[in-house]
Amino acid sequence: MKTILHIVKKEFLQFRRDPKMFAMILISPVIQLIFLGYAANFDVNVVHTAIFNQDKTATSRQFIEKFEGSGYFEMDYYVDNYKTLQKLIDNHQIILGLVIPIDFEKKIKRNETAPVQAVFDGSDGNTASISAGYVQLIVSNYSKSIVTTFMNKAGIKILPAGNVESKVRVWYNPELKTRNFMVPGIVGLLLMIVTLILTSLAIVKEKELGTLEQLIVTPIKSYQLIIGKLIPFALLGFVSEIIVLTAMVFVFNIPVRGNLLFLFFTTALYILSTLGLGLFVSTISKTQQQAMMLAIFVVMMPMIYLSGFAFPIENMPKIIQYFTYLIPLRYFMVIICGIILKGVGFSDLWLQTTLLFLIGITIIFLSSLRFKKRLD
Amino acid sequence: MEIRERNFITRETMHSIEIHNLTKKFGDFTSVDNISLNVNSGEILGFLGANGAGKTTTIRMLCGVLAPTSGDAIIGGFSVVKEPERVKQSIGYMSQNFSLYNDLTVEENIDFFGGVYGLSNSLLNERKSWVLEIANLNGKENMLTGSLPGGIKQRLALGTAVIHQPLIVFLDEPTSGVDPISRRNFWDLINDLSQQGTTVFVTTHYLEEAEYCNNIILINAGKLIAEGSSTELKSKYLKNKIYEIECDQVVKAMEYLEDSKFIDDTSIFGNTIHVSVNSNFNNKNQIIDLLNSKGITNIKSVDAIVPTLEDVFIHLLEKQYDK
Amino acid sequence: MINRISAVVEKEFKHLLRDKRMLFVILFFPVFLLGIFGYAVNFDVHNIQLAVYDHDKSEMSRDFINSLTKSDYFDITKYLTKDSEVKKTLDKKQAQVVLVIPDDFSKNLYSKKEPADIQFLIDGVDGNTATIISNYVKAATLSYNAKFQKEILQKMGKSSLIPIDLRPLFQFNPELSTTKFLIPGLIAIILIITAVITVSLSLVREKEHGTADQLKISSLSALEIIIGKTIPYILIALLDAVFILIAGYILFNVEIKGNYLLLFLSTVIFILASTSLGIFISVISDTQQLAFTFATMASMLPSVILSGFIFPIESMPYAIQVLTNITPAKFFIVILRAIILRGVGLPAFWHQLIYLLFFAIVFLFLATVIGNHKTKSV
Repeated sequence: MKTILHIVKKEFLQFRRDPKMFAMILISPVIQLIFLGYAANFDVNVVHTAIFNQDKTATSRQFIEKFEGSGYFEMDYYVDNYKTLQKLIDNHQIILGLVIPIDFEKKIKRNETAPVQAVFDGSDGNTASISAGYVQLIVSNYSKSIVTTFMNKAGIKILPAGNVESKVRVWYNPELKTRNFMVPGIVGLLLMIVTLILTSLAIVKEKELGTLEQLIVTPIKSYQLIIGKLIPFALLGFVSEIIVLTAMVFVFNIPVRGNLLFLFFTTALYILSTLGLGLFVSTISKTQQQAMMLAIFVVMMPMIYLSGFAFPIENMPKIIQYFTYLIPLRYFMVIICGIILKGVGFSDLWLQTTLLFLIGITIIFLSSLRFKKRLD
Repeated sequence: MEIRERNFITRETMHSIEIHNLTKKFGDFTSVDNISLNVNSGEILGFLGANGAGKTTTIRMLCGVLAPTSGDAIIGGFSVVKEPERVKQSIGYMSQNFSLYNDLTVEENIDFFGGVYGLSNSLLNERKSWVLEIANLNGKENMLTGSLPGGIKQRLALGTAVIHQPLIVFLDEPTSGVDPISRRNFWDLINDLSQQGTTVFVTTHYLEEAEYCNNIILINAGKLIAEGSSTELKSKYLKNKIYEIECDQVVKAMEYLEDSKFIDDTSIFGNTIHVSVNSNFNNKNQIIDLLNSKGITNIKSVDAIVPTLEDVFIHLLEKQYDK
Repeated sequence: MINRISAVVEKEFKHLLRDKRMLFVILFFPVFLLGIFGYAVNFDVHNIQLAVYDHDKSEMSRDFINSLTKSDYFDITKYLTKDSEVKKTLDKKQAQVVLVIPDDFSKNLYSKKEPADIQFLIDGVDGNTATIISNYVKAATLSYNAKFQKEILQKMGKSSLIPIDLRPLFQFNPELSTTKFLIPGLIAIILIITAVITVSLSLVREKEHGTADQLKISSLSALEIIIGKTIPYILIALLDAVFILIAGYILFNVEIKGNYLLLFLSTVIFILASTSLGIFISVISDTQQLAFTFATMASMLPSVILSGFIFPIESMPYAIQVLTNITPAKFFIVILRAIILRGVGLPAFWHQLIYLLFFAIVFLFLATVIGNHKTKSV
């Protein structure tokens, strides 16, 4: 026990001698959080549009105003030929080009159908489809008002019937702010960086410098060395988590609805996995560079993509979905969003908690087996 | 029977270190080839060889840090193959790069290793004063280890390596990169340890340091090629007399001498040539005449000398190559 | 000078080639990640799991429900019968959205006074999916309304009147495939991470091991050392880029619509910019750990979050939009999308190329200044 404390003390002494490191670890999560909190957004608030109005009549201008009035579309350019329109799209200056045909007013007044072209830059499928949705909505409403006017004039009482109005209620995140969902997720991410990568680097650094050799020649037991090395980073992980949560509450006004203690408890289970993975990476790396690349490309990036943090698991092919059951971050994401946003507790999250625990223990156990007090 | 001495348990054995057919292979490459030897308690054993000869690999196996491919070593009564962790309890080790933590202070390093070896507070304090004393660092406990000059760091490293007063100490090239005066002082320390009954197993590639050892092992390409004290080696392996020649054009001269029938081995020492003469040799005039006949006339001296270990080593190496 | 630089290049290459693990990771993993990414990652939502709580249980309500499931978008997983089941279903993720149809649905559908209200309840915690589902739901409702109105009009003997026929055309990515859109971004991310991290680490490693002084004492100038050390990584990054593009083509049919030469040149410039960032980081870090932390914070995270890779920059608050200019990945992604997806030429992105060059020069300059200052003060 005392031996473990000696190792922990040494690690902290070394931290102290490298204040830049320390500061980075503590400050950068907050910076990342702020970036992500404000930047993470799939909503489309502005659609840069160009209008190619071949008609130039009052009716056409009225139609165009409907778009302007919606607040979503910014009519940045008025062009008078397809070539210019295409160039604007090619140069990514607009996302949408609206082409109003030359006989727009005529057709509308004659109760005929006027074809309106909406050319989208489809590169960003998400933005394109959302923008198309907006366009569709505006066109539908415009059409409806035309139809109603026509019907009224013709003396036909058109019923407001046949009108289903769907009210969408979103729970826990009513304004559907992407950040409300992403920010708690960042906690999992940042914890992973601190505990997985920094741990593996620390162990491999001693390998590189030769001080590990000096340590394994002593009677210190493997588990003492492992625990001694992992504890400081576990503590650092908790500290950075507290900092991030504080920033989350005060900068983004996302309160923690659930039980903080439970949150820290599950954090401890989660970092069992990440520390274990860090330990594992250190056993297969000879240099810090290797450890870093392995940690990032082989462990971290797949974990991030497949954990449900940015991309929904339900959309993935079945095989990959099964694979994600092995990923600790997947469970931690559910837990942390559940605790912070929904305020649920163990009764709803017992499955994830248990799985997290089992996975963590297994990883640490297997990695420790690999970590031998040997140089080969 | 087990004896409890200081903090450790060592079984009473004949020898402090017994090495039986120790071998290490890395794939096809044999780094350590079937080495056997014994070291007595309190002895200073010098393990000599060129770089890459297998010294560090051997030491690592003896410390239980590298598993042998075959063979075994009994260190302080414990087998490195079967009980490496118990071996580690009885030994001290100083690695080639003196591995102390450069970003910790002197005192922090001492405290750390003392703690890892399980020293009680009082014992730690006692040993800490000793380490500071031998490294001449009293009053400098708060200096960062990384800023210490080489010779001091080396002594500090030795101190921390034996902070737990082990009975057996392994030192891997402890004097590399250190100035000659510091080296002498360091060997004084090693002698002190030896006199206190500690077995010291030292590797070095400085042949002159071998003179300070009780017993010497010469190793080349993983094989043990000679064993004995300094005098034993010189008398056992070097039947020939050695002459030292000082002249011009040393390299050419050496080539001519190498080819002659009355000379076995030649080697260059600084700006002199050492030759070992065989039964065909009568007197030094043969040498002078030979060189003169080849156009080397400026011969400053030709004298018989007391052979050094280096002469022995070279002779043995030549024999190896001849095989 | 070339000789000296090539000596350093050779040494660095030997280091690398001997380091099989590194090579494996650097060359193989980006492609592997691309694979996972391409297959796993998707914003397209299909087979949304729908639970239905139908109070009305009329022909109309069933008709409405059918209209939802007829398309590929919704799958019914559960029929609910109790109020308490609603929350439970969402919390336990037995469905992603719950449709609640009130008992006066069919009545209101034919009434003159009120529209027929229905409720869709979505678990908003998974914010992104929730938005998408919300949009689909609205679209589904719209199309149901249109169909219903048409039927009514037909029953009344009037043909339907469609004033506007909207013809949407999605250029460059007609299937609106997420993968095609994300791949250029992924290339940028992988390249910048590789370049910045490997470069900064390799330079700092020598500092840590003390061999940096050896290099300094030799007749190599600082510039020669830097160029020599970074060339191998630049080459490897380029190789990476080629692999990823090939994999993108084979696995996901991502064709490069534009000019290959332009693509190559832009990639080189981007790698230069990333490398200079890596050099700058190595100058201000004394240990590899620190270098790594800086590198992650300066390259990886901003590149993923701020570059427009996933989150559209236009949607960000203005202040953040300004901030996005700190990451070279942002500019490179614009260039990549222009060349790969849209097939356009220099006029579309010469601004970005200039920014990248500027970026490279600025960071190299800073690195030199700070580097000199440090050596003098030691």
